[in-house]
Amino acid sequence: MSDTNRNRLMLVIALVMAAIYLFPLYWMFITALKSGSEMFATPPSFWPSEPQWGTYAFVWESRGMGRYLWNSLIIAFGSVTLITVLGVGCAYVLARYRNVWVDIGLFLILMLQVLPASLMITPIFVGFSQLGMLNYPRLAVIIAIAAKSMPFFVVLVRATFMAVPQELEEAALVDGNSRVGAFFNIVLPLARNGILVSAILIFMQAFGEFVYSKSIIQAVELQPASVGLNSFMGPNTNEWNNIMAYATIYVTPILAIFVLLQRRIVSGLTSGAIK
Amino acid sequence: MALRHHHFLPEGVVFRANAPGSPVRSIGGPMKRLFSSIRDGNGFDIVLVAFPLGFLFLMAGLPLLYNILMSFQEVDMFSLGTFLRPFVGFKNYQELFAQPETWPILGNTAIFVIGSIAGQFLIGFGLALFFWVNFPGASWLRGLFLVSWVMPGLVVGAIWNWILSGDFGVLNFMLKETGIISGNIFWRSDPNYSLYAVIIANVWLGTAFNMILLSVGLASIPGDLYEAAELDGANAWQRFWTITLPMMRSTIGAIVSLGLIFTLQQFDLFAAITSGGPNNSSNVTQYWAWDLSFRQYDFAKGATISVIMIVFVMFASVVYVRSTRHEVRG
Repeated sequence: MSDTNRNRLMLVIALVMAAIYLFPLYWMFITALKSGSEMFATPPSFWPSEPQWGTYAFVWESRGMGRYLWNSLIIAFGSVTLITVLGVGCAYVLARYRNVWVDIGLFLILMLQVLPASLMITPIFVGFSQLGMLNYPRLAVIIAIAAKSMPFFVVLVRATFMAVPQELEEAALVDGNSRVGAFFNIVLPLARNGILVSAILIFMQAFGEFVYSKSIIQAVELQPASVGLNSFMGPNTNEWNNIMAYATIYVTPILAIFVLLQRRIVSGLTSGAIK
Repeated sequence: MALRHHHFLPEGVVFRANAPGSPVRSIGGPMKRLFSSIRDGNGFDIVLVAFPLGFLFLMAGLPLLYNILMSFQEVDMFSLGTFLRPFVGFKNYQELFAQPETWPILGNTAIFVIGSIAGQFLIGFGLALFFWVNFPGASWLRGLFLVSWVMPGLVVGAIWNWILSGDFGVLNFMLKETGIISGNIFWRSDPNYSLYAVIIANVWLGTAFNMILLSVGLASIPGDLYEAAELDGANAWQRFWTITLPMMRSTIGAIVSLGLIFTLQQFDLFAAITSGGPNNSSNVTQYWAWDLSFRQYDFAKGATISVIMIVFVMFASVVYVRSTRHEVRG
């Protein structure tokens, strides 16, 4: 078999596998377009006979999705900002030196990275309620997410800083820059892409965060879209087309960001987790 | 790498002494020296590191300790607001293990972890090996699989909840069409299947992540090893067992321990698919701990089960840190 034919065959197999793997996503999009009766047809239809585009507007209105997504955005932006402001410097120092203190710091950070949110929420909730933080529930969630996700961010960004040649910073110092100046004028711009990709990964995580929001935010008008989706799915629901429309609206921005930046996100992710 | 740190220890002074236009450093009181160190010395590093570590200590370290404290206290709705609650020793632990559902839930957790990791790893490894054969578009398609991992867990759970639905679920339809099953399986409401419903969704969610990391490991194996083995007449199967697997050992160790960590963090799928039911048949510790605290308002029990599980997770993370040691050490 010639190389081109082999490549074509491989590509076809790969496409088939991708199609099978991504079928759940397809099923979400399709179900959202089905009518109430078509949804429960046997055998199920794999292409909507009469796409119900109105479902999106209906769900957006009736579930108040604008407010939910706005809260998700606030929480995601807040967490990313807090994590970036705190985490970048930490990652820089941990990448720049190599001694026993850095090893200890890295070890502690990796340990914090693994604590499951659903196990940490009990002490966080009780502690926050004692401090009166529950009166600012979205801020409380932002802080909790930041504490949870910052270790991951630090590990990813540290890998980026390791790739910035040390000589450039030294040269800047010789040229009369202060440490602060060298950091902001030389090192940060060089690491910008890596920081951005890591921030986007954190953003996507925080945008879908559930445990903390569900436990801490009681007021419906402050809840993010993940909690809204959860309360939409009662135990005996039969509104699956509406739920899938909700899920589609919720997930499409994330999918769009991901598909656009896929290459960078994947390489940023792999450089941090394993080498 | 070891040299790096040397360059900076003399701390600017060496550089600066010759640098024109730089401030003279030795003049000034302690405050001034402090500021100049922050702007231009080791103080800069210390400031950069102190705030995040302090934040992490306050928001992750202290809760961890508080969790341990609460597991030895009697906590109810009235004593939530105080730190000084009645100390009860190991009573919470004893009561916890006296409850009839504790061991089944721990068993479920083990099944969930082993099933999820096995599924994610085997499918992920298969896919990684397939995409390792380089063809045009391979890396882009491979990356596309990762959408399952970046989606909100609640959305993944909602989709699988619908796919796994008993009467109208598309999975049951496909299984019946292919003749694998004859009657509908009620994935979410049949106690024999409910845990596997969540495992299926979790395998789907985590497979792509496993595949991507395994691909990185595969790509780092030097190609001439295979050429040499081929010259020696080793077939594909032998090459896999004698080169690929041994070379991948540390990657596999890291991925399995990461899998353990991620699986024990999985909460959203339980919330979205079964809520631990019916009758705890799909309940696992990380969901149960939350359920105890926030559904039954038994914060002490929630803290107790959390402490037990966190010890477990810490073990896993030690394995993970050890297998990525060469990376961690820079």
